[in-house]
Amino acid sequence: MIVNLTRPMLVFDDLHKSFGDIRALDGCSFQVRPGKMLGFLGPNGAGKTTAMRAVFGLIRPDSGQVLWEGRPVEKDTATRFGYMPEQRGLYPKMRLHDLLVYMGRLHGMSKGDAAASADSWLERLGLAERATDRVEALSHGNQQRVQLAAALVHDPDVMILDEPFSGLDPIAVDTMSGILREAAAQGKAVVFSSHQLDLVEDLCEEVAIINQGRVVVEGDVKQLKEASPYRRLEIDFDGDIGDLAGALDGVHDLVSFNGHHQLTIDANTDIRQFLARAQETGHLRTFSYTAPSLSDLFREAVR
Amino acid sequence: MRNLGLVALREMREGLRSKTFLITTLVTMGLVAAIILLPQMLGGGTQNHTVGLVGDGSAEIVDTAVRLGNAADEDGEEPSVAIETREYASRDEGVTALQEGEVEALVVDGEEVVLRNIGIMGSGVTGLLQQAAAARSLEEVLEEHGQVAAVVIETLTSDPLRVTTPDGDADEEGGQRWIVAQAGMFLLYMAILIYGSWILTGVTEEKSSRVVEVLLSAVHPWQLLGGKVLGIGGLGLAQFIITIIVALAAVNYTGIEIPALEPVLLGNLVLWFILGFLVFAVLFGAAGSLASRTEDAQGVAMPMSMIAVAGLFISFAALENPEGTVAVVGSLVPFTAPFVVPVRVALDAIPWWQYALSVGLAILGIVIFVRIAGRIYSGALLRFGTRTKFRDAWRSADL
Repeated sequence: MIVNLTRPMLVFDDLHKSFGDIRALDGCSFQVRPGKMLGFLGPNGAGKTTAMRAVFGLIRPDSGQVLWEGRPVEKDTATRFGYMPEQRGLYPKMRLHDLLVYMGRLHGMSKGDAAASADSWLERLGLAERATDRVEALSHGNQQRVQLAAALVHDPDVMILDEPFSGLDPIAVDTMSGILREAAAQGKAVVFSSHQLDLVEDLCEEVAIINQGRVVVEGDVKQLKEASPYRRLEIDFDGDIGDLAGALDGVHDLVSFNGHHQLTIDANTDIRQFLARAQETGHLRTFSYTAPSLSDLFREAVR
Repeated sequence: MRNLGLVALREMREGLRSKTFLITTLVTMGLVAAIILLPQMLGGGTQNHTVGLVGDGSAEIVDTAVRLGNAADEDGEEPSVAIETREYASRDEGVTALQEGEVEALVVDGEEVVLRNIGIMGSGVTGLLQQAAAARSLEEVLEEHGQVAAVVIETLTSDPLRVTTPDGDADEEGGQRWIVAQAGMFLLYMAILIYGSWILTGVTEEKSSRVVEVLLSAVHPWQLLGGKVLGIGGLGLAQFIITIIVALAAVNYTGIEIPALEPVLLGNLVLWFILGFLVFAVLFGAAGSLASRTEDAQGVAMPMSMIAVAGLFISFAALENPEGTVAVVGSLVPFTAPFVVPVRVALDAIPWWQYALSVGLAILGIVIFVRIAGRIYSGALLRFGTRTKFRDAWRSADL
């Protein structure tokens, strides 16, 4: 497959949706580029799930549309999409292999292709020996794996995953991360929502932050951090931090805990003098000066 | 169309593999066979009674009762009635034996019948003893006048009155038609409700297990509902036809000739199973989508079940009066027609134009219900949590 990596692939174009008096989406716009994983962030109730459901026609926006390669997404084209809803669910009585074949076929695969893909997914998730077990016989963690396989069995070009990491143990998080990284490396468009911002920072090149139905921050994580008007200064220091920080211009926030101090300062603040004074006291143990973390950006964006 | 077929296929496959389907099929077949075969097995034998005797004249009455009961028997057959007798010295002794259950009735001095309690009054042997006592009196009167008493029994049991209704002879075929109509009606009612509620629980399970959101990302709601109705309906039709075949085989085994059981009647039953199932399946499907938990499903579907029960009662009315207003109206309403029309067809009491009209209206009803149900279904499926209100589902039909 040849993919133009710079061309926007999936476009959320000015989505509006109200449920009664509640405005779930209020001009939600962002783009997902193939080959780049996008973290879709936002506080609870910001409209993440509603926006994701709009892709699959599970809700009909009052206005705006979701475009894929320039055309509105229909049920027929949505067979190239994979969806893992926040509300997990499988047929409890179905056998694993049958279930995955069924999901594959519903997404347009032939019987043979679906069976082969189901086999390879079960193999990959370490469930090959349980292919004829019923879903309800699996542990919670294994059911989550099958849920992922059910969303991806048809090898979709676009993956939309609502909170894929919630409720996973660290090992399962690694498996999930590996699968998503691989998909992005193959040139697929991957969007997932999450509240685990460290994880998003590890995985995603791009983020979109939604607040009250509107995307307020969108773009490359690195560039967003660089463009931030703030910097983060962290030191381990045993002396009087209040006295020391008094010498700095543009300190917005100071959090101290057990000799570890975190300062939020203006990006253009000159810290050389501060650093020199800290060294003179002889109590400075570690020092770091970084762009704000994703968590900082997030808090700033949804404040 | 492809997805519709895939959904239907899944329903059939999973249905065939489920224990529920296997068990209901076997139980239905067993029940139907038992209903047909049991009366033959039980009725084919001899009715046995034990009667206590006290004093003079009692034995003669019992003898007469046995002769009377077996008068219509053909040579070589087992007797219809056999009465074992025990003699007691006094009424008190006899009553004690009666209370201990040794005998079911006590005849005293040819003048009195003692029963354990009055509730048994109507039981077979009492009526027979009463008839026998009357016949004995008649025989005695004839004997006093020097006539041949033996003709009494023969006279009493031959040439019964011809029974008719205002519509004509209540001949054997008419009675058979009535039985066939009733049997067909019950089969239909059972099948429609069993498979309708299968749809109901199937839809609710998809919603309560939350699998529905993944499914709807790939298929339209109408494909999901339609496929389910077709798949489960196919299974139901197969089971219904098997049941009819078992019933026919059982009838054949008993050797009873039922001229009223024409192939066209069976074809009619199958047609109305399909129409009735479709009417109720789409309604049950819509009801199922309103419930988020399996426990709520029956409650949500209550109105549908009530309608089906109403249909059953109207069909009882149609059995009594197949051409009355209630029956005619019941044939034209799509909810009740599946129960009423087959009864009228079996009784040969429906004009062709009414039949055609009722089929047409049922099909029209199905088309309309599919639209309404489809809208409710799609509006309600992703509203998890509480029971969805009909109006909310209708308004938020989004898919």
